[in-house]
Amino acid sequence: MTKVLMKGNEALGEAAIRAGCVHFFGYPITPQTEVPEYLVKRLPEVGGVFVQAESEIASINMIYGAAGTGVKCLTSSSSPGISLMAEGLSYIAACELPCVLINIMRAGPGLGGILPAQSDYHQATRGHGHGDYQLIVLAPASVQEAVDLMMLAFDLSERYRNPVMVCADGMIGQMMEPVEFPTEGAGEPMAENEWALTGCEGRERRIVNSLYLSPEDLNEHNKKLKAKYDLIAEKETRHEVYGEHEGADILVVAFGTMARIVKSAIDDLQSEGVKVALFRPITLKPWPYKAGRATMDALAPDAPVLTVEMSMGQMIDDVRLCADGSRRHEFLGEAGGVVPSPEEVAAKIKSLL
Amino acid sequence: MGYIRIERAVCKGCGRCIVACPKDLIEFSDELNERGYQVVTYKGSPEECGGCTLCAVACPDLGIETWNNRGKQTFETTTGLTEKMTHYCPGCTHGVVHRVVGEVLSELGLVGRTIGVAPVGCSVLAYEYFNFDMFEAAHGRAPAVATGAKRARPNTIVFTYQGDGDLASIGGNEILHAANRGEKITVIFINNAIYGMTGGQMAPTTMPGQKTSTSPFGRDTEDTGMPIKVCELLAALQTPAYIARGSAHDSKHTVRLKKMIKTAFQHQAEGRCFSFVEVLSTCPTNWGVSPNEASDWVADAMMDYFPLGIIKEPAKEPKPAGAKA
Amino acid sequence: MEATNVLMAGFGGQGMLLAGKILAHAAMAEGKEVSWLPSYGPEMRGGTANVTVCIADRPIASPLITTPTSLLVMNLPSLEKFAPTVGAGGLIVVNSSLVHRDPKREDCRVIKVDARNVASLAGTERAANFVMLGAYVAASGVVAPETVEGEIAAEFTGPKARHVPANVAAFRAGLDAGRVDAENAAPQEQDA
Repeated sequence: MTKVLMKGNEALGEAAIRAGCVHFFGYPITPQTEVPEYLVKRLPEVGGVFVQAESEIASINMIYGAAGTGVKCLTSSSSPGISLMAEGLSYIAACELPCVLINIMRAGPGLGGILPAQSDYHQATRGHGHGDYQLIVLAPASVQEAVDLMMLAFDLSERYRNPVMVCADGMIGQMMEPVEFPTEGAGEPMAENEWALTGCEGRERRIVNSLYLSPEDLNEHNKKLKAKYDLIAEKETRHEVYGEHEGADILVVAFGTMARIVKSAIDDLQSEGVKVALFRPITLKPWPYKAGRATMDALAPDAPVLTVEMSMGQMIDDVRLCADGSRRHEFLGEAGGVVPSPEEVAAKIKSLL
Repeated sequence: MGYIRIERAVCKGCGRCIVACPKDLIEFSDELNERGYQVVTYKGSPEECGGCTLCAVACPDLGIETWNNRGKQTFETTTGLTEKMTHYCPGCTHGVVHRVVGEVLSELGLVGRTIGVAPVGCSVLAYEYFNFDMFEAAHGRAPAVATGAKRARPNTIVFTYQGDGDLASIGGNEILHAANRGEKITVIFINNAIYGMTGGQMAPTTMPGQKTSTSPFGRDTEDTGMPIKVCELLAALQTPAYIARGSAHDSKHTVRLKKMIKTAFQHQAEGRCFSFVEVLSTCPTNWGVSPNEASDWVADAMMDYFPLGIIKEPAKEPKPAGAKA
Repeated sequence: MEATNVLMAGFGGQGMLLAGKILAHAAMAEGKEVSWLPSYGPEMRGGTANVTVCIADRPIASPLITTPTSLLVMNLPSLEKFAPTVGAGGLIVVNSSLVHRDPKREDCRVIKVDARNVASLAGTERAANFVMLGAYVAASGVVAPETVEGEIAAEFTGPKARHVPANVAAFRAGLDAGRVDAENAAPQEQDA
């Protein structure tokens, strides 16, 4: 395996192909447009399908159609486009179809701006469409991790028959870093299964549907989905702890790009003797509550927990749930494409000691 | 001698067969079936019926089978549909169009390759009636779902079945672009000039002056524009396509409609083009008229504005080698 | 090696993003960790375009740099915006073809290169970005010049391969300009 220097958005596209996905449906939006621009050239080389849809509403419904026939498929967008996909995501999750979507978050609300932000955390982990469903949400902090998590995303989506969102921000999408791809060529297509619509020749007909007119049936369906989400929460949380957290005087919680910036701050502070660690959730949904709580419990008795986000404070809700009243909470956040610098993070940490 | 068999259990007493019979051999009986509908009965003498099938063609509920003078069955229920009784109101032509689609796919030998996409609207439960793989799509999005399915599985036959609210209102963009990309799918568009499932609101195809629950004084075209002629709108696109408008309001037109729907699916089966058939349909319940009055209203009030016929078809081309009919 | 964080800024179309990409490739080829983070969006079209390249021996934590160790500026707005942000003891390479103002950073090494003129003499005026890159590589020593030349050759392939000789020539001319100017610029800093 050799390293190549690649833009995050392009690496995400290549990773999908390496994961065996050769079906892409999407609509241009900054700052993710390099994903379709890359795939439109690359997919024909592997016999794949590329459709530029008329809207994100159409993209996600094309995904619904393709996923329903049992192929690995991908769409990609940025914040306002994900809002338009909300309806389709609800249907796909309800029908338990596997698919992967990329969200290269930009600043909101409204048309907002095109610079990086993390202000779609609530949307990704709680929001988008109607009804009692969940996505699996993976948050890379580097181009390499974006590639690795794309591979994981297709694996999880197929295993649990659930949409998976790879949630990065404009900085990861636009940045070039060296990456290694774990496989050569296009990966394996989706395995044969007992639910995909392929034409009923020689078997019972199948239906992909989310309409349950009987409340009892719909209740059962919801309970089945919930059991699946609980299983995912038990088995699939991922996180990273950076720095020595045992006895640390403060714990910082951040994800994605923001976590990298916090790491720089921690590197500087550690050389000054400050005992500080970072807890970085890699799965935003399910959130790694157990690991987070264990990390918090190992801190010095009165150590506060500082959540740093490129938003006005969204993940802090999960950090509070995680601490469950056991810690004092502090917050640092900027929005609109303004990214807290390592120096600002370091200053905030020092001010809390 | 020819004869018909009426399946009393499925009869909804709409009376369309009574009007359809050229020899006036069917009438309402005095009996109600288990579901409380006043069922029809054959009233003629045995030798009078020639087994012409027009009553069966008019029946929205797979309620009639026919035999001709030589004892040969001339109309039987199609394997393209399940045996499930539909939820449609008496006299609603959804049942007729379902049956025609099922018959066409069955006759073309395509049932085992077909993936249908049901809409949101009265035909939301179409997946229970079509006897093959089915999606249920979000409101208006069926053409996008069909695009994804067809692109992923090019060897399948993919069609959407959509009403006027679903296709012409909320799904206006999806149908426009699926057509313009020339997706090799077939679209069956039911135009009954009203929103049925939600209880009779104004549709994009509601006729000028037509009263609905959201145009209680009649559709005011100054305020709401004119009904959208979807066929003509799509026919304005350059991308080659088969676009036709038929009607299911009576048996004679239903026979012509079937030819259009068959042609549409043949185009897809031969890998040719996007194909689209609009069907003028009835909604007796929300129009507030009897089933047979509803049929008359299609002929009298709709057909001038929505002219029937083949609106556009692909240029003649030599058949590709190895193409199957 | 201390981490090198270089900010390269100019108008859109002046080729700073490409020069940064070549630098990142070269550092990567020499086994370094790198990141290349551009500004992006509508301001790319005719406005300012800049890129931050981080080069280090260990994984790069934050690719977002507020205090670069080096700065390459192609135009005046970039100089005015970014010169004050360079860390003390840093290196500033100024395109003196367009920028006639002094960065006013006594605590930095400042190298002025008449990039357009040098590029023109080397064969093509359009390769001013590679002159700037050459001057920077000569003055900083962050990567070997041969590695950069290899990456220029690797960047232009197919029909674009015809641009390689002119761009390499511009880069070499930039190296010379950087060496000469580096000797004249604050020698006491160089020894440090």
